[in-house]
Amino acid sequence: MDLRKLKKAVIEMDDKEVSKLVKAALQEHIDLNTVLNKGLIAGMKEVGELFIKKEYYVPEVLLASEAFYAGFNIIIPLLKSQNFKKAKVVIGVVKGDIHDIGKNIVKVLIQASGYDIIDLGKDVSVESFINTVVKEKPAVLAMSSLMTTTLIHMEDVIQELVKKDLRNGLKVIVGGAPVNEEFARKIGADGYAKDAARAVKLLDKLTSG
Amino acid sequence: MDKIKSVIEKQIKYAVFPIVCVDHCTRLTGTTFADVSCDGEKIAQVLEYGYSLYEYDMVLLFVDAYVEAQALGCPVSFAPYATLLGPRSDQAYDRTGEVIKAAQLLKKKLKVPVFVSIKGPFTLASFLVGIQDFLKMVLKNPKEAEENLEHVMTFQLEYLKRLLEVGVNIFIGDPVASASVISPNVFKDFAYRPLDTLIKKIRDKGAVSGIHICGDTAPFIHVIDKLNPDILSIEDITLKTNIIKMGGVSTSTILHGDPSNIEDEVKKAMTKEPYLIVSTSCDVPVETNPENIKHMIACAREYSKN
Repeated sequence: MDLRKLKKAVIEMDDKEVSKLVKAALQEHIDLNTVLNKGLIAGMKEVGELFIKKEYYVPEVLLASEAFYAGFNIIIPLLKSQNFKKAKVVIGVVKGDIHDIGKNIVKVLIQASGYDIIDLGKDVSVESFINTVVKEKPAVLAMSSLMTTTLIHMEDVIQELVKKDLRNGLKVIVGGAPVNEEFARKIGADGYAKDAARAVKLLDKLTSG
Repeated sequence: MDKIKSVIEKQIKYAVFPIVCVDHCTRLTGTTFADVSCDGEKIAQVLEYGYSLYEYDMVLLFVDAYVEAQALGCPVSFAPYATLLGPRSDQAYDRTGEVIKAAQLLKKKLKVPVFVSIKGPFTLASFLVGIQDFLKMVLKNPKEAEENLEHVMTFQLEYLKRLLEVGVNIFIGDPVASASVISPNVFKDFAYRPLDTLIKKIRDKGAVSGIHICGDTAPFIHVIDKLNPDILSIEDITLKTNIIKMGGVSTSTILHGDPSNIEDEVKKAMTKEPYLIVSTSCDVPVETNPENIKHMIACAREYSKN
């Protein structure tokens, strides 16, 4: 099977076609990592680029994500966890904030880039972030907030990480509409990304060393 | 003197209004948002207090983004501030009557023009369906998206009619219809027509119309230009348009900046724009230091003299 077709189906947001092509690839005994990397992940990478170029917008990315997951959810139970070579990332929207579309888009692009992701969802308490960091030992903690009233909780989490001696070796990145580079620096985060595609590039940069 | 109208008519160059809303005024008065947001008299009282403190050139009656969505059935919580808890359900609670009561009181008491904020139909439909689901719907099932827009338009036209009878001006906030979210084609196909209808109704009644869109507007500024509201409140005021712009100071600066940052942004905006309502790029964050707001207004007043 030509995996470019699978990539194209993801880019064209066609979840039914993606599901059909992945099942066909399994029947043809094509290596699962190859299906994942050259089909699904390659498709989502292209979607990320189209998003940066403003050829795709949020609705297109949401539908492409659905198409990606239509294939990913078939493959993932068959893959061993070690197939994810990249770092582990914990992601969540801070306490008091239930706006999670941006976080969901970041999540799918990060996942599609080969990172092992743990999604804590929205309205995540400081304790929940801290407990997950203790338990999962991620390389990166990613937090988002859409509201100025909840931004403060990003700083609360970082201060608690420092207090509990969990900051060493852990990179913290932040994003969301009211967040900017200056704010990220001020609260002691390691990085800020303006959008989902740039979040992947930031992660690659922070975890490459 | 109605400075806002004077800027629109290009009789004077500048007016000033940082987008101070009910939430910030509630904090100023030491009351709680939950206590104020469902009571027309209290809404008017806190906005009147905000005006007496800052003395800007207009007042915006913006309680929260979910007044209409809640009336149409969306669950909303009010503590500490308004939060949309989910899409349309059976929990309708209509606060539009309280908003109208507040509009009447403010119109009676204040000398500056009163604007009431209503939601753009695209944003309102997305609240009702669920933002993520509505955004997918416009591409996957455009007919259903249109039906939802028609449903909210029926409501908005009636609400608008009642507001215009009070004699207030109207600001339409359409934050989801932003180029940070949707493409120019989606804006043209789904957001444009309902906005156009609302603006024409406002104009027909002789009221002033404004549109506020958050984030990026560059990819469809030419389409917004065709809507031709009297005022356009946007983040990037350097975009070319024939509409009188409102903005110039970022919400991040008003919240986190010091006096010199604020002054720089005010000065820069007023140097570049021949006519401008000096404002913040979005609503003033609740916890903004009042001194920053006062300083912004003082700078705008000072540079207006030049």
